[in-house]
Amino acid sequence: MLRYIIKRLLILVPMLLAVSIVVFLILRLGQGDPAMSYLRLSNIPPTDAALEVARQELGLDLLLPVQYARWLGKAVTLDFGRSYVTGLPVLGEILFYLPNTLKLAGFSLLLTLAVSLPLGIWSALKKDRLPDHATRAFAFAGVSMPGFWLGFILVWLFSIQLGWLPPLGMGGLDHMIMPAVSMALMSMAINTRLIRGNMLDNMHARYVLYARVRGLPERVVVGRHVLVNSLIPVITAIGMHVGELFGGAVVAESIFSWPGVGRYAVSAIYNRDYPVMQCFILIMTSIFVLMNLGVDILYAWLDPRIRLEGGGDR
Amino acid sequence: MKKASFCFSAAAMLIISLIVLPGPASAAQSDTLNYSWSANVGPLNPHAYSPNQMFAQAMVYESLVRYAKGGEVVPWLAESWDISEDGRVYTFHLRKDVRFSDGTPFDAAAVKMNFDAVLKNAHRHDWLEFIAQIKQTRVVDSHTFELSLKNAYYPTLQELCLIRPMRFLAPSGFPDDGDTAQSIKAPVGTGPWKLVETRKGEYDLFESNGLYWGTKPAFKRLMVKVIPDSDGRAIAFETGEIDLIFGSGGHGSGQIGIDTFNRFASMGNLETAISHPQATRVLAINSNLFPTNDRAVRRAILHGVNKAAIVKHLFLGVEPQADTLFSPDMPYCDLGLARFEHDPQKAAALLETAGWKREKGAEFLTRDGRELALDICFVGNDTLQKSVAEVIQGDLRRLGIKVRLVGEEMDSFLTRQKSGEFGMIFGDTWGAPYDPHSFCSSMRQPAHADYQAQIGLPMKKDIDRKIGEVLISVDEQTRQDLYRDILTTLHEQAVYMPLSYMTNITVHRPQLRGVEFGPTKYEFPFETIHWER
Repeated sequence: MLRYIIKRLLILVPMLLAVSIVVFLILRLGQGDPAMSYLRLSNIPPTDAALEVARQELGLDLLLPVQYARWLGKAVTLDFGRSYVTGLPVLGEILFYLPNTLKLAGFSLLLTLAVSLPLGIWSALKKDRLPDHATRAFAFAGVSMPGFWLGFILVWLFSIQLGWLPPLGMGGLDHMIMPAVSMALMSMAINTRLIRGNMLDNMHARYVLYARVRGLPERVVVGRHVLVNSLIPVITAIGMHVGELFGGAVVAESIFSWPGVGRYAVSAIYNRDYPVMQCFILIMTSIFVLMNLGVDILYAWLDPRIRLEGGGDR
Repeated sequence: MKKASFCFSAAAMLIISLIVLPGPASAAQSDTLNYSWSANVGPLNPHAYSPNQMFAQAMVYESLVRYAKGGEVVPWLAESWDISEDGRVYTFHLRKDVRFSDGTPFDAAAVKMNFDAVLKNAHRHDWLEFIAQIKQTRVVDSHTFELSLKNAYYPTLQELCLIRPMRFLAPSGFPDDGDTAQSIKAPVGTGPWKLVETRKGEYDLFESNGLYWGTKPAFKRLMVKVIPDSDGRAIAFETGEIDLIFGSGGHGSGQIGIDTFNRFASMGNLETAISHPQATRVLAINSNLFPTNDRAVRRAILHGVNKAAIVKHLFLGVEPQADTLFSPDMPYCDLGLARFEHDPQKAAALLETAGWKREKGAEFLTRDGRELALDICFVGNDTLQKSVAEVIQGDLRRLGIKVRLVGEEMDSFLTRQKSGEFGMIFGDTWGAPYDPHSFCSSMRQPAHADYQAQIGLPMKKDIDRKIGEVLISVDEQTRQDLYRDILTTLHEQAVYMPLSYMTNITVHRPQLRGVEFGPTKYEFPFETIHWER
């Protein structure tokens, strides 16, 4: 197990390297001149002389591979450069906003589970009856509704019309509800259907028949055997949902003025703040990879039949 | 089983919390005024630019003299001043009752310290002619300060009014090495407000400066919430999270869109207002590139575009129609220039006289085998610029002029302004107190679209010389005459299509009183605002 974890962590290194090269190239090959952005954001008129000074200051007068090597040399010491807008070190800025995003994404994940688990189980137990149909309708609506649209609808209903929830900003739990719901709805819908499907599969499995034969009460059969076995694929799905949630956070944070890293990244894109964009993408890649590693480990721990290294039989 | 039951109890907790959570407290009449801006106000270094926000720098720091409505310069931290006969030495007599918000006195030594800090990094302020003109600064006595210039640069007083870089930080706020270019210790100024708390990405909190020498703000605190999105701002206003919308209307850095402004205005239970013209939205027409190097084509374009329709349907009446490069309200700009009326027939006649003909079956005019076609360049995601460009395209097509729309991202757009690769290109004048002198001054810089647009004019050298002269003119009449010359030439040569005058807007509930526009775009006089008594 330890060997496996170390191996996976080591794979992260070439992966980040490849991502960084791609990101670096895409940003540089695009239209637009970072020196021009830099001057615009500093409110300095872009004369030729000023552009020349800015290019030297930012190291843009060097060959692309040299620029990349320089950036990488600093990046391995966790120095990702300074933001063109604020002039502050980029990593510090991102780490400042990251906890807020994690808080929101964590709450959304909790919300996803809190809604999809009972709904999934309920619809499986009442298959082809009203609860099942209602849940199906909910799932359809949930998957089809874009997060930003839902966000505005929620604001209109709960903030403007009813005045129950604050429309924006960070504060107590009440500030988190609408952004979290708009981020989580799609994951909720998918998860509900997934759990229902797994439950139904497992209910017809042989071990359930044996359990019933042994005379175990239905509560134990469903709660202990069917449910636990149905949850394992859900763990994998959660690994995916985390990615979706971070993607959704970029939108939700902008709509609800949540001071998170997603909103920060959006403003960096508008400002062509390259150092911020590069660092943001690398950190998101790391989080995504580490999250999936965590899911894999959890998987093995939950299901003894699964072995992460060769040798086990499934 | 344990895991499952944990999930169930978590779900139950959440559902309960959803039900019993209290709603937001209603915005009672508190002693805090809630406002919003698209970003944090920054460290508030008075001598630096981005990320410091100008409106906030203007709240905390003050200038020696102040730009009043209509362009008059009035005493502020200096209660009076003398100008030597040759126009090169300015002696300022400072107010004696002024203290910085930390209690230290405001005196000539503090003024000199600030001037020296700015001059130490003069290259950062290259865009401002006044800084380049400073020869020497001197403390005459504790409350008299003398400024010597290289030339008799007349806009000195106007540029002293600017929000940055020439306002005054308390000596206690200076870093140990005295160089404010990198950072300051604390934002301590003489202004009516002081910055007391900043939460990154959330808000900046200001408090009334209890030591302020002038009229103290009616509100104890001013909360500036960070709301980057203009729709988010409108929602925040409707739900009472903020009390006031104040700033430019429209696009990009606007507080709210003009359609939202009109919605608020039509609601009837809100107070809305539109300011006098602050600056001009304008398209520069390239006199150096085919086909707009032909004056007849430029004039035909100005007569051919239905500007009244653009103002009515795109600016929704929130911005008035502009017919001259600078609003007649600006100093030296009330020249009675005849506007280019919308007159397609006259436009067609102009083109015909200039030899442009329509070949049989052709959609567009030609001359010597070359088609009458030009590019209009705009920022691709600026919906307003795009719509205006489309209307112009339609209007000019009727005259037989082909217009290609070139929408690009901001940097490419700015590169075109600089390099002159455009037929027509969008731009704004800088507004008070920069208009007309700073804007005219920049027409001499090759990095500006104005220079590129004018360079094809036969009298461009003459224009540049006159701009140089007007800036160091001592005599009021000479100055007015020179401006008349410069602006009349530019108008008659048709190198600009003024569109509308940009305005500031305010929206608030009627209980909030004393909301007034400042003399310039980024001065918001929050100190006069109070609840209905």
